[in-house]
Amino acid sequence: MVSYQHPSELNALQQYRQAAAILRGTSRAVNDNWYKPAIDLDFQLHIRDDGESVKSWTFHAPTSTWAPGPDFGTDGPTPENIPAIAADIVAAARKAGCNALGVIIHVADEFATTELKPELDNPGALAELRETIITDPQAILDDSSLSPTDHSWRLLPYPASGSETIATIVTLTRRLEAIVSAFRDFGTSKNFPIRTLTLSEPILGLITLAELRTEPLARPILAVLPYPRFTILAFFNEHGDLRLIRSLQHRGQRRPTNLRHAAATTAAALEFSAPEIHVLPFGGAMDPQLKTDLSQVFENASIFEADWNHSPFAVPQFPGISPEIVAATRLKTEVDTPLATSHTFATLRTEGWATQDFLPLAPQLAEVFPSRAEMKLLHSSRYLKFALAILVFAIVTWSAFGVLDMIRKPEWTFEASEASTVAARLAELGKEKSRIEHWDNLLEDRSKAWASMEMLARLFPNNSGFLVRAFNHTATPDPAAGQARLGFVKVWTITGLAEESSMERLNTLNTREGISAVFAEVARITGNQAFRTDLPSRSITISIRTSENPGYRPKPPEEIVPGDESSFPYAFEISIKQRFEGDDPLAITVSAAP
Amino acid sequence: MNLYRTPIALFGFVLPVFITAALAGAALIVKSRIEASFNGKLSHFQGYEQNRIQALAREAENGKKRDHYKTWETLLSKETASNVGSTLAVIEDKMPSKEFQVTTRDFPANRAGFASVSAQNSGQVHLAFRATFRTMQAAFLELETRMPHLQLQELRIDPSANSNSLNFDVYYTAWEP
Repeated sequence: MVSYQHPSELNALQQYRQAAAILRGTSRAVNDNWYKPAIDLDFQLHIRDDGESVKSWTFHAPTSTWAPGPDFGTDGPTPENIPAIAADIVAAARKAGCNALGVIIHVADEFATTELKPELDNPGALAELRETIITDPQAILDDSSLSPTDHSWRLLPYPASGSETIATIVTLTRRLEAIVSAFRDFGTSKNFPIRTLTLSEPILGLITLAELRTEPLARPILAVLPYPRFTILAFFNEHGDLRLIRSLQHRGQRRPTNLRHAAATTAAALEFSAPEIHVLPFGGAMDPQLKTDLSQVFENASIFEADWNHSPFAVPQFPGISPEIVAATRLKTEVDTPLATSHTFATLRTEGWATQDFLPLAPQLAEVFPSRAEMKLLHSSRYLKFALAILVFAIVTWSAFGVLDMIRKPEWTFEASEASTVAARLAELGKEKSRIEHWDNLLEDRSKAWASMEMLARLFPNNSGFLVRAFNHTATPDPAAGQARLGFVKVWTITGLAEESSMERLNTLNTREGISAVFAEVARITGNQAFRTDLPSRSITISIRTSENPGYRPKPPEEIVPGDESSFPYAFEISIKQRFEGDDPLAITVSAAP
Repeated sequence: MNLYRTPIALFGFVLPVFITAALAGAALIVKSRIEASFNGKLSHFQGYEQNRIQALAREAENGKKRDHYKTWETLLSKETASNVGSTLAVIEDKMPSKEFQVTTRDFPANRAGFASVSAQNSGQVHLAFRATFRTMQAAFLELETRMPHLQLQELRIDPSANSNSLNFDVYYTAWEP
């Protein structure tokens, strides 16, 4: 078996490693039965020692099935024979489909009570005292002569009003501790939960009375529980609350010799007159003289003896099963008798006073193993770590694939020098383009003499009744500061003479549409784009001034000589102005060649 | 009890989360650094690709005009006066002498017309002719075709007093390299 150390002897990392080892090596994280009370487990082994014999039975809770337990022989249970016995029981439990074993030891061969320190007699401190009696019994025991190493104590409350004390203290020796530990150690070694519970049988026996007695409460009750080695006297008031419990040792007799005296004086002290007497014989065949003794003391009292064979605690197949053992398995059964609703019986059942463990695992040993919550926490941390590992793996894989994807691309091996080479080439081509565009602009056909002459010819065709005397054309830039390209203005001034029949032609020309038509025709014929007037960056105006020719001499047509200025009745002067804006395609680039 | 709670919380939760954060952070940092390097290269590469495509397009564009440009360069490299002279000589040879006569040829030193607003080098050309209308138009077509860098500034046409010809007085700006 793996040996674990107490966590206080380990540093934090070692504590964690030990907890992780326990998690890996045991089923504590997944089998909650490691942390359940023995009485709540599905498969239970009940061992009862009444001083005369040791008997055992197994109980399968889901089916409420009882079966004979192992035979401990004449020696009874010993630490040496426990492993073999436990192995058989564990096998039986597994066969029954159970993954835990509860070992409940019913101590019926000893019972003693002692008292609390009087100064602790405070009802409000009962819960705290219940803890202290386990951790530091000497602090609350009025009699400190008994050693905690040899004895174990548990409180038994006296809830009845008017009690002289809030509780008594039940004492058991630790003689069975090795047996109990042997069971637990076996379970630990086999990674099979074996939970133990060592009960004081008479306390458990008291609660059977609640089911046996069904009539309404009217009088005080004296319960007499005869065992082979002692007899218990339990006094309840008329409300069914425990006033006092005391044991009378048999000292080798079949019944206590001082029974009558003890019963009489105690009843008198408690002012019980004619109590209802119930005899609960848990020790097998009862001494018939016991009832006689009681009837002598309490002459007018009714004495009832429990008939176990016709009680809820009877197990017909196994009549030898002690009723308190059956009672231990019925703690969660609802009982609605008047006595069961009393404070005493209610708290004995529901608050676990009747099933207090006198020999629990020592805290120092219990603390070696993580608590249930810690095991759950540790177990869930495994899922967290698994999830985190997946997360890390996913992130690393995603990153790795991302990197792999990047380094596989041609861009990854691309050298920056290649970029600069191409950039330089592009810049060089850009300069070349600028130079080409520059000269392309400067060499545009924006102002050509031959095209202007063609315009003149188109304005005044041969034999059209016009005589052109002078033609003047200028092209001048239109300066504007800060512009990259400048517009310009072209002006044509034409003077001449016209026949009367040609005046209509002049009138036609003297409109934007008329002159634009001539320019468009010139542009189409010559291919010279400067004569286009349909661009928004251009405008054209014309003005024609006509006057009478002072040298005109009317003549018959047959006397007119071609070119004779005196034959033209009218003189004219045409001024055409065409403006090119700075955003015109033919605008002049101002800068020098790049 | 619960003596294991702190170490379990520390080594079962805090430390794994911390280690996970460290590993994930390291992976992300490494990736981000490589990504930054890659983005730099990608930027260069994209610039390179963009420049390469632009260079191809510009090369094709320039290539279409490069022959013309070389012609212009050759033309512009000649001294304006001699170029005008040689061109007019060629034109005179083509035209009937009675219909086309060069009467004036000079090269003023001032900057006028288009030259006055442009930073580009240029020279002034002043020519005068006595010619018939159509012959002169053909001569101008020949001259301005052979010398496209001549930009007309002024043209005056007057009848000739002594003949049927016309007097042409013309001023050009001649672009120079």
